[in-house]
Amino acid sequence: MNILSKYKHLITAYIVSFIAIAITILPITWLFLISIKSKGETFTKPPKWIFDPTMQNYIDLWDNDLFKDTFFNSFFITIISITLSIVIAIFAAYALKRYQIRFKTAFMQWLLLAYMLPEFLFVLPMFAIYQSIGIYDTYIGMALIYQVHVLPFSIWMLRSFLEEIPKEIDDAAYLDGCNPFQAIYKIYLPLIIPGIVATAILNGIWVWNELAIALGLTFFDAQPITVGVASFRGYASINWGGMTGSAIVSMIPMILFVVFAQKHIVKGLTLGSVKG
Amino acid sequence: MKQTPYFFLLPSILILAFTSLYPICYSIYYSLFNWRWGNEKDFVALSNYIILLTDNDFWIIVKNTFVFSFFACLIEITIGVYLAIYIDRIKYGSAIIRTLLLIPLMISGISVTMLFKVILDNMFGIIPYFLSFLGIKSNFFGSYDAAMPTIIGLDIWWQTSFVFIIILAGLKSIPNEPIEAAKMDGASEWEITRYIRLPMIRSLLFLVLIFRSIDTLKVFDIVWGTTGGGPGLATETLQIYAYRVAYSFLEMSKSMTIMVLFSFVVIFLTAIYSKFNKNI
Repeated sequence: MNILSKYKHLITAYIVSFIAIAITILPITWLFLISIKSKGETFTKPPKWIFDPTMQNYIDLWDNDLFKDTFFNSFFITIISITLSIVIAIFAAYALKRYQIRFKTAFMQWLLLAYMLPEFLFVLPMFAIYQSIGIYDTYIGMALIYQVHVLPFSIWMLRSFLEEIPKEIDDAAYLDGCNPFQAIYKIYLPLIIPGIVATAILNGIWVWNELAIALGLTFFDAQPITVGVASFRGYASINWGGMTGSAIVSMIPMILFVVFAQKHIVKGLTLGSVKG
Repeated sequence: MKQTPYFFLLPSILILAFTSLYPICYSIYYSLFNWRWGNEKDFVALSNYIILLTDNDFWIIVKNTFVFSFFACLIEITIGVYLAIYIDRIKYGSAIIRTLLLIPLMISGISVTMLFKVILDNMFGIIPYFLSFLGIKSNFFGSYDAAMPTIIGLDIWWQTSFVFIIILAGLKSIPNEPIEAAKMDGASEWEITRYIRLPMIRSLLFLVLIFRSIDTLKVFDIVWGTTGGGPGLATETLQIYAYRVAYSFLEMSKSMTIMVLFSFVVIFLTAIYSKFNKNI
């Protein structure tokens, strides 16, 4: 009886996860199928299950310079944002671990608050100042404002990875005559590479997917892919091929991340939020 | 050497001051003016706040935002916790299940809207097509009654795995001894979950609640991409309203007033969280 009930629980568990996976995957699969149908077959009734797949929508997207640019803009903004945040966060995280700091709690609360603030709060003030100092619609401007979200997260993450390293290692480095820069560069950095990867991936995903701030602070030169995808949502005539294709293109890098870096992502999500 | 830690913290402090303190101060300051694009700015004291707080539409929008947040949080946390409890029991294949369930969380809000615009489209969508066999004529984004539940549904599809992943990690970190002891005493699987597992991950449940409630109050992408706030005011939420006031009505000061009020709500919720979280 006991064994039977144990298996009953396990079977329910598998059924539940099967349903959850179906609900998760079927919509994306359907979107992908529509994106590889030709224009005439997109929405036949009943839907055509067997059809000649075509890459035409993707070829059109590749030929569409406006959309192609947004892809590369997002790529560069993401790279700049995560590099900047990690370089700065390593020093902050090191200081928080190694030294007694006054206002430490206040600083940590400030991080949480900055991380939580609503996106649209930044748009108008940043628009005004970016216009006057000339970084409106630039990669740098976007990477800078994204720090409000990615920098606090990087500091929490790197700090919690640093906390796992025993303090004796640091003391030994000092006795050997390392200055703090050398200690960070030679001793800590190699030890927290997994932490840096997890932080970079999670921040990269956030930056890649961000829309609200990008709508307000880009116009053309730095328009990211989220705005590029959004540009296909017409009200009068809808370009279904562009819509589905561009959405799939914007998803692909993220889905690859999930598949190949699932461990890092899970570790980052849980660690970051447990400590945060 | 005493200054070293502050020297290391300085870049972070400067960047955070520029990206968080400056926008708050700027918004508070200009919410006291009647600035529109290009026009001159006149000091009007608190009249933006008074106009807003006595405006019926504003309260409808506030109500929408909280209704969205309440139902999205409630359903996401319920489903996420149940999923985590079930999948916690699985040993074979749990990594692949977790990977697949993680996918929606990695997709941008705007892609989620594209996804559901295609699936739920009144004319061509696959779900309205199946519903038509049942004689149901569906109008997911266009009807006043269905729009809000549909947007909530989008958010549930998109964000439930956040709850799931964190609660699952919490359940996996629970030590085995108390559970073994309870099994010895003849407790059923559900009793163990209810009286041992869930109480032990209380702090994670609280964390998920705060993160999800702030995140859902901030909802923007999935509304902007689908209904844009309509029909009427049915799905208009605070950030959508602030966007529309600034870019359609060109009332910068009023938009900043909305964001100042909204930020206070977020600050309040964050303060509650840090008060109860000793980990910070």
